[in-house]
Amino acid sequence: MRRKLIEHIGSIAFVTLIFALLVVSLKDRQEADRQARIRLVAPYLNLPSLDFGSPRDRALFKETLDLFRPDSRAANDSLMRAIEAYRQSQFTDPALKTGVGDQGLSWAVLRRLGGMYLQFVLVYTVVLGLTFYAAQSLAMYRFVRLKQGRSSYLAEFLQRLRAWNLPETKGGAGARSVQLLLPLLKAGLKVIAYAVLFSPAYVIGYAVKTSVDMDSLLFMVLLGVVSNGLLINYANKFYTLLVGESRKGYVETALVKNLSGLYAWNVPAGVSYRSLLLLPRRFPGHVFQHVYLNARYQYLPTLKEQASFLITGLIIIEMALNIQGHLCYELLQTILYRQYDSALVIVLGIFLLVKVTEILVDVRRYKEGLRYENRG
Amino acid sequence: MKIGADRVTIIHLTHPSRRHVQWALLWVAGIALVWGWDLLFLNRPAFAQVRTALFNSLLGGFLVVVFSMILGWACALLVYFLEQRGQTLMHLVLTFVFNLVRSVPQIVGILLGYVFLTALIVQDVLRAPFLQLLSMSLVVSLFVFLEVMDLIRERIEHYKNLDFVDAMLCCGIKEHRIINVEILRKNSMAHLVHKAVAVFGMAIFLQCSIDFIISVGLSTEVSSANFPVTLGSLLARMDSKQDILAISIVFSNVSYVGTLLTRHLQGLNIAGIIVYTLVCTYNIANGLVRRYHL
Repeated sequence: MRRKLIEHIGSIAFVTLIFALLVVSLKDRQEADRQARIRLVAPYLNLPSLDFGSPRDRALFKETLDLFRPDSRAANDSLMRAIEAYRQSQFTDPALKTGVGDQGLSWAVLRRLGGMYLQFVLVYTVVLGLTFYAAQSLAMYRFVRLKQGRSSYLAEFLQRLRAWNLPETKGGAGARSVQLLLPLLKAGLKVIAYAVLFSPAYVIGYAVKTSVDMDSLLFMVLLGVVSNGLLINYANKFYTLLVGESRKGYVETALVKNLSGLYAWNVPAGVSYRSLLLLPRRFPGHVFQHVYLNARYQYLPTLKEQASFLITGLIIIEMALNIQGHLCYELLQTILYRQYDSALVIVLGIFLLVKVTEILVDVRRYKEGLRYENRG
Repeated sequence: MKIGADRVTIIHLTHPSRRHVQWALLWVAGIALVWGWDLLFLNRPAFAQVRTALFNSLLGGFLVVVFSMILGWACALLVYFLEQRGQTLMHLVLTFVFNLVRSVPQIVGILLGYVFLTALIVQDVLRAPFLQLLSMSLVVSLFVFLEVMDLIRERIEHYKNLDFVDAMLCCGIKEHRIINVEILRKNSMAHLVHKAVAVFGMAIFLQCSIDFIISVGLSTEVSSANFPVTLGSLLARMDSKQDILAISIVFSNVSYVGTLLTRHLQGLNIAGIIVYTLVCTYNIANGLVRRYHL
């Protein structure tokens, strides 16, 4: 454990040092870069009788450039974009505005970023907790269904359709129709759920943009949980661990020792929905208790990977949906306006968040390991 | 007491699961269906763009898989041999660097990589579209290959302690041959194919997301004029976004579905292809797990 902690602290110190050096060097270079960009476009901006505000003049200038330098069309495009960016920056670049407060990295900027960072950490913590809980619940539900030998909803529908005219099928036409269509309805809902769970956040975000307040934290949390395939992929990982555990020898031994192995919902000695949903999850007298605990112990390291992927998802949400006033939108803006010092500080903050999560997970796993190995 | 799992296992032994093949075929059929629908209802210029974007995205995903496999294999072997030959310092440094990369959220790393690529494109270093696609895929694979490396290291660790490895070493067979042929090719192919499918899905997701973000948020600096068009960048265009926005009309007026499927086809198509591809890769990977008991 000590070695792991040293490695974590070492990497935090290393990255912080590198970023600090980069921030200091970039702070000096940013102004120089701005001047260099101005020098690049200045000769063209001062050309007589050429108004870059006019589309006709711009098109003429572009054609002239292509005629004079036919082999450098990409460079010509870049020059046109540089001129356009320069003209645009006269109106939009905060660094060129007066009376807008601090420019570049300052204490005031750090305080502003700090507020956004805390908000980001809050959303991250809530989403991580929710996905950890929901992924396990989903996986356990799927596992119990597997143990029950249940087939897919579509197969169930076909099976009932085939049995429609058999004499064993009970009930009137109405009841039988409901019984027949229920799996089909469930299959439809499953398809919709899959579509939502695998959708990138920006697809869901734009699909509901007109009817939902995109800036609300609740919406961000919800989107973070259900989109980008996060929930379904980590539920699948936990499910794989459950299946792997259930194949181990101790399960058979536990069954011989009279622990229940009945995977039926809400019956005595079975598995109840309540114990699946309520925390802490307990299945007293059932072999599933041990399968679950062992799978959960193995799942803990995956939480590090999940944390990193969750941050990827949150960044996608904030950046792709242009949620203003949030940390990752700010990151995008700082990159856009080449304020790389601020961008590096934000990236460092995100890196530290992942590292803190990794340390917490490692400590938790170490403690649980002590308990399982009877050393604690 | 007989539990449900026993029945499932017996079924698996008598009828090996073909789910991965079924889902692969389903993906092809789905894309063919969308193609046919587009031929009927999507205008020609938009259809041409969707085709190019789909091709670029799939090619990009495939390239990420290739790069990740090569990088993962090379780094896993490098770390293994450094450890075996007692070069502790180099081993520690490399492990430290890999763990560092692991702690950087993929999208942040890729975004910074794209900023670097943009600089290269602006300076006319990267001109050919294929070269651009290649470099985009390389950037994505730099943040994905660690999964492959972990798998290969885990497979080597798993087999290293078995008797057959010692027996082969005693017979004079070279260690690299044992690892590459006996462990990886003969005994881990299913694991590697499963990982390749998972990496492909991840690559499509990351590539589409980063292209979308860049096209939406950094549009003055990086645009479709710079990078080859992909599903993500095409989805970020105004007309595609309007198509996606139109989905919300269905919540209040269900009969609008028909109009949605014929008039707002471009955006819907792209979003559908992305989601469908992700669902299929997930199910193909799961099918492989079931078939080969991974």
